[in-house]
Amino acid sequence: MDSDPAQRNIFGVMEAHPEIAREGVRLRQFGQQAIEWLAGKRIHPSWVVPGGVNEPLSAANRDRILAGMPEALAIARRTLDWFKTGMERFREEIRTFANSPTLFMGLVNDKGGLEFYDGKLRFLDAGGHVVQDGVAAADYAEYIGELAHPWTYLKSSFFKPLGYPEGVYRVGPLARLNIIDGCDTPLASQEWAEFRELDRGAVLSSFHYHYARLVEILYALEKIEQLLRSPDILDPNVRALASANQSEGVGVAEAPRGTLIHHYKVDRDGLITWANLIIATGHNNAAMNRGVLQVARHFVQGNKLTEGMLNRVEAVIRAFDPCLSCSTHADGHLALEIDLRAHDGALLDSVRN
Amino acid sequence: MSRILILGYGNPLRGDDAFGWRVAERLLELPPDPSIEILCLHQLTPELMDPLSRADLAIFIDAAAAGDPGAILERRIDPESASRAAFTHHATPEALLAGARALYGRAPEAVMISVTGADFSLGAELSPLVGSRLDEAVATVLRMLPRPAL
Repeated sequence: MDSDPAQRNIFGVMEAHPEIAREGVRLRQFGQQAIEWLAGKRIHPSWVVPGGVNEPLSAANRDRILAGMPEALAIARRTLDWFKTGMERFREEIRTFANSPTLFMGLVNDKGGLEFYDGKLRFLDAGGHVVQDGVAAADYAEYIGELAHPWTYLKSSFFKPLGYPEGVYRVGPLARLNIIDGCDTPLASQEWAEFRELDRGAVLSSFHYHYARLVEILYALEKIEQLLRSPDILDPNVRALASANQSEGVGVAEAPRGTLIHHYKVDRDGLITWANLIIATGHNNAAMNRGVLQVARHFVQGNKLTEGMLNRVEAVIRAFDPCLSCSTHADGHLALEIDLRAHDGALLDSVRN
Repeated sequence: MSRILILGYGNPLRGDDAFGWRVAERLLELPPDPSIEILCLHQLTPELMDPLSRADLAIFIDAAAAGDPGAILERRIDPESASRAAFTHHATPEALLAGARALYGRAPEAVMISVTGADFSLGAELSPLVGSRLDEAVATVLRMLPRPAL
């Protein structure tokens, strides 16, 4: 965290840990390749369509993906082990990176297990107690409020029954591993149990988003293998056809970054007349802001901003893996502007990137 | 046999940003050559470091915002000039080449062919001016390929 900026970037990582970097590239390749095999072509893949997919999976493509599983799983396990052994060096960051009591939200399936695509919303408090369960997608607005601030395009979401700011919650890998009662793959289950030992209640430090993300990668790989070995996977019935039969609909899914809520109203031709989207970065907005404050209080000392301080401010935001370009419709560049002010408001130091 | 990687990239739903993609599509219509791989991409991503490290020549095709609309520029890409921070959300060609060298020990010769876009607003069509530059861009790529490729 305090190293020379010339080394503290992806090239520095590649030079320091080339094997880890090569394996990261390998894992991404596996994912991209699997998508390409599923989509059938690299250009304009349109495999996923309303009502399902436009082509059944072939036995040949199933076998090609399965053939890549052992290597992908081995990489995920090695990376997780490597990460866990290195965590000790980040005790101070773990203690201060958006490490505060908030609620957590995400989808769970009907057994309370890890769910990305279906299921119902669950809210959990910092002590690990379920405060609201079984919220159907269509009822999201009863439980989730959105607050507009004058200083940002990005709204802050909160759990309505508790109001703002008491109802601030987090979504994403950390939240998902906190809210669930378990997951249905063997290796990820073990890792999840170990992960939950980090805290007595919910795991609160946002530094652990990284750890949770690795557990989820392991889960995703195991799940791919489970699904590919299911006899139904080659079933040719892959699409339901329907036309507009409702004027309003809400969809909820767990994107890698967290819960994604899409709410649309359409006219008789199916054209959208109204829309509300709450994306992961919006759900996490208030918690990210708290994290910046916490890191600044702990690491910013004196009258001068240092690289180590700035790096941690950025790192706490990155732990959430935000997509600010989607959430604020601004340019994809992470614009970082930091002013250091004295107690009387006088500007002591300032940094722009 | 030298190995050539052609990467046309951009957002096919943002007007002229699709230029690189369209050039690559035109090239894909030509008879295939086993020594040439052609990719259409939304953006440059880290896993490209691996195929880049195995290529002898890489040709990047992109749309640019700066310059006179419709102008086609050709420049050599120098991995040494990669910005140390240029690998956050999406990568630059320089960063990918530097990464290929760091991780896999080699990077190809690389050139960038770019056209200055006139209109990057929402839409799947190139502007008439930039669309009229497709033939020249395709010809520029073909001139770079060792004969009798394609």
